[in-house]
Amino acid sequence: MTTQHEDTAPDHALEGLEDTPHTGESVEADGTLVEPQADDFAHAEQAPSDPEWFKRAVFYEVLVRAFADSDGDGTGDLRGLADKLDYLEWLGVDCLWLPPFYASPLRDGGYDISDFRAVLPEFGTVDDFVHLLEEAHSRGIRVITDLVLNHTSDAHPWFQASRQDPDGPYGDFYVWSDDDSAYSDARIIFVDTESSNWTYDPVRGQFFWHRFFSHQPDLNFENPAVREAMLDILRFWLDLGIDGFRLDAVPYLFEEEGTNCENLPRTHEYLREVRATIDREFPGRVLLAEANQWPADVVEYFGDPAVGGDECHMAFHFPLMPRIFMAVRRESRFPISEILAQTPPIPDGTQWGIFLRNHDELTLEMVTDDERDYMYREYAKDPRMKANIGIRRRLAPLLENDRNQLELFTAMLLSLPGSPVLYYGDEIGMGDNIWLGDRDAVRTPMQWSPDRNAGFSRSDPGRVYLPPIMDPTYGYEAINVESQQGSSASLLNWTRRMIAVRKEHPAFAEGEFVDLGGSNPSVLAYERRLVREDGELDVVLCVNNLSRFPQPVELNLADHEGRTPVELTGRVRFPRVGELPYLLTLPGHGFYWFQLAETDDEGERRSMA
Amino acid sequence: MSTAPGSHRASESQTHDDLVTQIAAALPEWLPTQRWFGGKDRAITAVRPLAATDLPAGDDVLLLHLVVEVEQGDRREPYQLLIGHRDDQVPDVPASASIPLADGPAVYEASGDADLTCHLLDLVAGSATVDGLRFAPEPGAELESGLRGHPISTEQSNTSIVYGGQYILKLFRKLTPGTNKDLVLHRALREVQSEHIADPLGSISGELGEESVTFGMLQRFMPDAADGWVMATTSVRDYMADPSGLPPEDLGGDFSGEAYRLGRAVADVHADLAQALGTREADADELAETVTAMVDRLERVAADVPELAQHVDGLGAAFRAVADVPPPVTAQSVHGDLHLGQVLRTLQGWLLLDFEGEPAASAAERSTLRSPLRDVAGMLRSFDYAAQQLLVGQGDDDHDQAERADAWARHNRAAFCDGYAKVAGRDPRDDAVLLRAFELDKAVYEVAYEHANRPDWLLVPLSSIRRLMTEGS
Repeated sequence: MTTQHEDTAPDHALEGLEDTPHTGESVEADGTLVEPQADDFAHAEQAPSDPEWFKRAVFYEVLVRAFADSDGDGTGDLRGLADKLDYLEWLGVDCLWLPPFYASPLRDGGYDISDFRAVLPEFGTVDDFVHLLEEAHSRGIRVITDLVLNHTSDAHPWFQASRQDPDGPYGDFYVWSDDDSAYSDARIIFVDTESSNWTYDPVRGQFFWHRFFSHQPDLNFENPAVREAMLDILRFWLDLGIDGFRLDAVPYLFEEEGTNCENLPRTHEYLREVRATIDREFPGRVLLAEANQWPADVVEYFGDPAVGGDECHMAFHFPLMPRIFMAVRRESRFPISEILAQTPPIPDGTQWGIFLRNHDELTLEMVTDDERDYMYREYAKDPRMKANIGIRRRLAPLLENDRNQLELFTAMLLSLPGSPVLYYGDEIGMGDNIWLGDRDAVRTPMQWSPDRNAGFSRSDPGRVYLPPIMDPTYGYEAINVESQQGSSASLLNWTRRMIAVRKEHPAFAEGEFVDLGGSNPSVLAYERRLVREDGELDVVLCVNNLSRFPQPVELNLADHEGRTPVELTGRVRFPRVGELPYLLTLPGHGFYWFQLAETDDEGERRSMA
Repeated sequence: MSTAPGSHRASESQTHDDLVTQIAAALPEWLPTQRWFGGKDRAITAVRPLAATDLPAGDDVLLLHLVVEVEQGDRREPYQLLIGHRDDQVPDVPASASIPLADGPAVYEASGDADLTCHLLDLVAGSATVDGLRFAPEPGAELESGLRGHPISTEQSNTSIVYGGQYILKLFRKLTPGTNKDLVLHRALREVQSEHIADPLGSISGELGEESVTFGMLQRFMPDAADGWVMATTSVRDYMADPSGLPPEDLGGDFSGEAYRLGRAVADVHADLAQALGTREADADELAETVTAMVDRLERVAADVPELAQHVDGLGAAFRAVADVPPPVTAQSVHGDLHLGQVLRTLQGWLLLDFEGEPAASAAERSTLRSPLRDVAGMLRSFDYAAQQLLVGQGDDDHDQAERADAWARHNRAAFCDGYAKVAGRDPRDDAVLLRAFELDKAVYEVAYEHANRPDWLLVPLSSIRRLMTEGS
């Protein structure tokens, strides 16, 4: 091993990792960087085995920075999050999704990773993460995180080594070129900040390729050493006990002249290799594709349906979210019904992830011309909908803090096809702070109590990474976990109850989705049908009034003649389904969840009770 | 008159003759209670059976296809009925379906009896012929049999039965000689693969005297659809209840995207009809006849409705201007009675329904070639109706609400025309004289209808006439 001069050492651009294990902490004689190994750390016990857990799980996206501060420095951390797991277990969360917590210069919200094998120091250490895993798994909660395969931060020791030593072991880790002419058919994604997908590096004297920011060079997946190095990073975290990854920016791994360099066959080939590695070495762990594209294109990332899917286990259904908002604005079920009708079936072993809010918003760049036209005509020209595309808002302010709409939206999130992803704080109806700007408006501290700093941190209020919400409607004195836990009518307790009801009926998670249509366009009614293991048909009927006005609806339930709808939150039995259309009335923004139960003998039921 | 088919026992045929006679005797009382009966304006002087066909429906039940001639003074019109009877059970149909006979078995109009109507679909699926009744699938249509049927409740002049959420069978109540225009146009549109129709899948036909006649048409049913009237009035409801005072395009319930796509769909169908059945140029005589028809209607209606008097001169001038429209004026097959209730929003887009034409028009009138601008005018009138229906019965002193209704209608009428122009390559508003005359003619027709049937609604066409007259002057 040799020690290099400080400002040319490959790890010189890493900040705050001097005293922790990190990539490039020393260098082998052949130039290979020494990297932390999983065996250097403790490993967490796994959660109880359940290979298809992700199909039924309720996910909860939580920003480590925003949830709970254990050491009083004003920034949330992994230990703080671990301290709040009892709350998340009580709520009914099955899996945490953590946006990146790796070492990073934070020029792209942590998606600019400078060391895949180290934790951002302000969040804690790898040991703290193992502690979080251990605590979560003991409560039956799983944890997944984002992993960016496509690129690294330019501060990553690999990139530093690559630019300094073109002939060394990392010389071919990135896509270098003597000029900026190659792959000219690839669009520029961040047109507002980037003028080219190539940037000149004066150190190496060549151009490097980047699909995103110029401080995020793309890894060269043509290089087998890169493919193996990325697999090793997956193995590192999986060895420690993590339950899966949301793979960021997957469509862009490979480049090929004459193409748009997106969704190339070799990208899918590599994903199959990643999946095969997981299946072989870490069964039960999952891959979630981040491919912000139209459902018909996204399904490619599930892989071959003949084998139940051999690429990613999950993918986000991006277009559904704005369609839900549009449908309620229009008081029309068509925006939702249409997008679900256009969603192809997915392989047996896979599941959609659906959400109302997260830190990713809809962009219209991904859709076809027709769809873009439709979305602009229907959506983007509406001033209030425009706000939904651009500035990031939380659910409650978007719905004007209307409890009925909050419940309706949540009920749809929990009953439409896919595993629901809640965004931290939305379960208590937290607000946002648009004065903090685009990124931070929805990243304010979790509101735990009416105490100082919303109970998020014991630090001096001036040190908190962002001020907690303090306005009269959404401020932490009015909206917080503590007071809502104590109130049986709170949104928090309501949400918890609905999650519990959802879990009683696997049809919500895995049932076939059947849109019931009907003559009233303001009512969205659908069934979720699942043939249970005992051969019985479990049918859940969901009826949603998208209008603010009361509505009648006549449903064609002829397939279920003789069954009895039992309302799921109160177990009230409704009139039996006959041959004629089934009449229901709903209050404005009201909804029902029914189980369509085999009608048993009511008298016998009572005498048994 | 044909009675029981040869395959049935001879003793039954005598029974049926008696039964049919008894039913015909009961119908003068019963027919006026049925929504679909079109002759409520005059007393029935006689009902005569024209044909009765015993349809196979199983043991202990009777399903009789009956055609009767209804005489009302000098008017004689044929109607179609389905008669049911069960030996041992009470059918699950509304009391109003029951036809009380002076001295005979309990019979009822059977279109609501799913146990009996299921046989109609099976007969079509099986290409059956029973006596003179021909049940036939359209070429290439594969039909699933054994589905149960339920009538839909919203229909005005015919009776439609939905089978298993898949098919819809429309039984034409008042029969017109010749192949029904609805079926003719659907077949023509199917031939050119129009995307905006519900595919025709089968038909029931036969003879009426010397002429062939269509008794029913089977089509694909769209369980995911909602009709245009409901869609549009949902938007109006949202807009009228909004406290912000924002214009309709800034509100969540904005319908203009749908109106635009609807305009495109109507223009597509016109292009399809032109491709399938051709176009021609209307000559000066035809324009003159059109003027005469519109002016005659105006004079008739104005004689009955005093509120129209102040507009008679202006309306007459608008109609007479049609005679001077420079050629070419294109004529072609059109829908003939297009309004928001005749279009369906499905998950794939808009469909047009019911190409029968205006129910009150004679068959000769309905099958003449007409201007596509008639359909455009019909839709524009319908947007006015959708906008103003909430004002009905509210008194006429709320000018704010009336103005908001106008704003909604203007916005969506424009979007509809934009969509139509995008496909047609010519903006219907550029044919201002014709379009305005057709719209006003339609409004005059509405005045007559509302005056006779729904006086509360009279303000809707009258306010439109007032607006159109102001805009035009």
